[in-house]
Amino acid sequence: MNFDINSTPLDLTGEKYRDVPYEEKERLFNEIKADVRFHDVLYGCYECGVCVAACPSARFYDFSPRVIAQAVAREDVELVYTLMNDSIWDCSQCFSCDRCPRGNSPGGLITLMREVAVKNGLETAKEALEGYGRIIYKIMSTGTQVSPDMLQPNAFPDWGHHVNEIAENLDLWRRALPPETLHTVETGWSVSEKTIIELYLIWHMTGVMDMIKEIDEGLFMILQDVMEERLEDAGYDVLFDE
Amino acid sequence: MPNQDILVIGGGPAGLEAARSIGDLGYKAILIEKRDRLGGTPDEASYAALTPDLRSAEEAMNAMIQAVENNPNVDVRLGTTVVAAEGSVGDFKVTIQNGKGKETLNVGAVIIATGFQHFDPGRETQKYGYYEYEDVITLVDCEKMLKAHRFVRPSDGKKPERVCFIQCVGSRDRRIGNEYCSKVCCGIASKEAIEIRQLVPDCKVFIFYIDMRMYAYWEPDLYWKAQEEHKVNYVKGIATEIVKKGDKLLVKGEDTTLRRPFEIPMDIVILSVGMEPSQGTREMAKIFGLKQNKYQFIEAVGAPMDTVSTSVPGVFAAGACTGPADLEDSISAAGLAAMRAIKAVRENGTKKAS
Repeated sequence: MNFDINSTPLDLTGEKYRDVPYEEKERLFNEIKADVRFHDVLYGCYECGVCVAACPSARFYDFSPRVIAQAVAREDVELVYTLMNDSIWDCSQCFSCDRCPRGNSPGGLITLMREVAVKNGLETAKEALEGYGRIIYKIMSTGTQVSPDMLQPNAFPDWGHHVNEIAENLDLWRRALPPETLHTVETGWSVSEKTIIELYLIWHMTGVMDMIKEIDEGLFMILQDVMEERLEDAGYDVLFDE
Repeated sequence: MPNQDILVIGGGPAGLEAARSIGDLGYKAILIEKRDRLGGTPDEASYAALTPDLRSAEEAMNAMIQAVENNPNVDVRLGTTVVAAEGSVGDFKVTIQNGKGKETLNVGAVIIATGFQHFDPGRETQKYGYYEYEDVITLVDCEKMLKAHRFVRPSDGKKPERVCFIQCVGSRDRRIGNEYCSKVCCGIASKEAIEIRQLVPDCKVFIFYIDMRMYAYWEPDLYWKAQEEHKVNYVKGIATEIVKKGDKLLVKGEDTTLRRPFEIPMDIVILSVGMEPSQGTREMAKIFGLKQNKYQFIEAVGAPMDTVSTSVPGVFAAGACTGPADLEDSISAAGLAAMRAIKAVRENGTKKAS
């Protein structure tokens, strides 16, 4: 709804993000609603708070999955824009909120909102994802998740001084572990050539590469270089025509 | 010979159902109605569609009226009031009055179905300016516009862009003296909100509430339907006052779940007025010497297990004269009152005959 007083919920006051005309906010809102998954993640909200009670993020941040569901259900275009620039990035996407008695999935709704924020290159989305460049690069280039060689002090400053100890003798630590697959510091496990080619194709065909390009041009170019070579070898060179 | 006739007072849903039931079971009912036509409040207040099923009120009430008028066992007296009563179960002498003068009826039992009246929002809630602003209306006024299929701003006939309902007006209020919930207003507001959205699709509709009380099937049929299919905005928080701003009404309140105060300009504000005992209910309680509760409704002394017996044996009460009731309550209680009244006149007859 359009409130005429400039008071905002939670702690969202202040100029943390760029304001845009109402029409632009409405366009973003309509993009969320147009998603084919929209009707599966949001019905209506009677503000019972079950989602907030279950939400781990709500314990640590001024974050409320209820407010997200409520704002979108009420078609409160202004508030949805506010939330898209801040609150949606406090969600850990654990989907504990899927216990909603109305059948809503606030987490699923946040997924859609994040996608719209990323696709439209919102500055706040870029900021929120800044720290994840290394992880995105690892997952998208190797097809596996966080690997031991990422345990570097500069990547995880919040891990404290232990990260220095571990980072120094990483190779040794890893070799001390029995499973064969862990005897590498570059990947979590090995991914077959066929699988990685399929993953590259999926990321191209489903628009993930477009999203990366929108959010981090540098990362996009590095990934493009890595993928191009392997895809060309597999006979998919046409994909990178711009 | 003891009298087995049963007097039914009030020609609304409860009275019609009671009279029909008595007639259907082969007993004689005398139905007294002070207005010159049957149908009660749904007719008098021009209800458009009934809650919860949105069936035409006129059609539904006509079916009830016909069932009574076509019943040879029901004697309908229109434009008639009860002015005095004496006697006891099996032998009541009730004086009625109409244009032709006074008449005393001998009846074995009485069913009171004199219903409710809508709370007058000018009585205690001047903060909403019902008598001050033309565009502040009640559920009843809204119903009249919906019946005419023309929902416009009363002050200038313009198409509204934004309207709101304010719930619990005259209900759940210790200061006013009506501490009870009027039970039907949440459903009626939701029903009217759906109808407004259908009539004026561009118009945004808000419902400001304290608690939404949508029991049983009203939850999916009205509340969820209004919210999910018709995008009616439910905001938990009651407006504290309404002030005029240009040609709009500025509604001030708090959006409690989003933790922010609001001031929203509205074209029309609809007050969800609750129920109070009707004048007829108050008068019948006095004439028959019935115990009333602190809100002046007739007390159903055996409730909750017996919802129709009053403090006077042989006098039963059904519908909203005993407290806020929806149609289902009123119709159900009326059938029960008819059954209890018949039992009373039969038992009494047997006793006296032996």
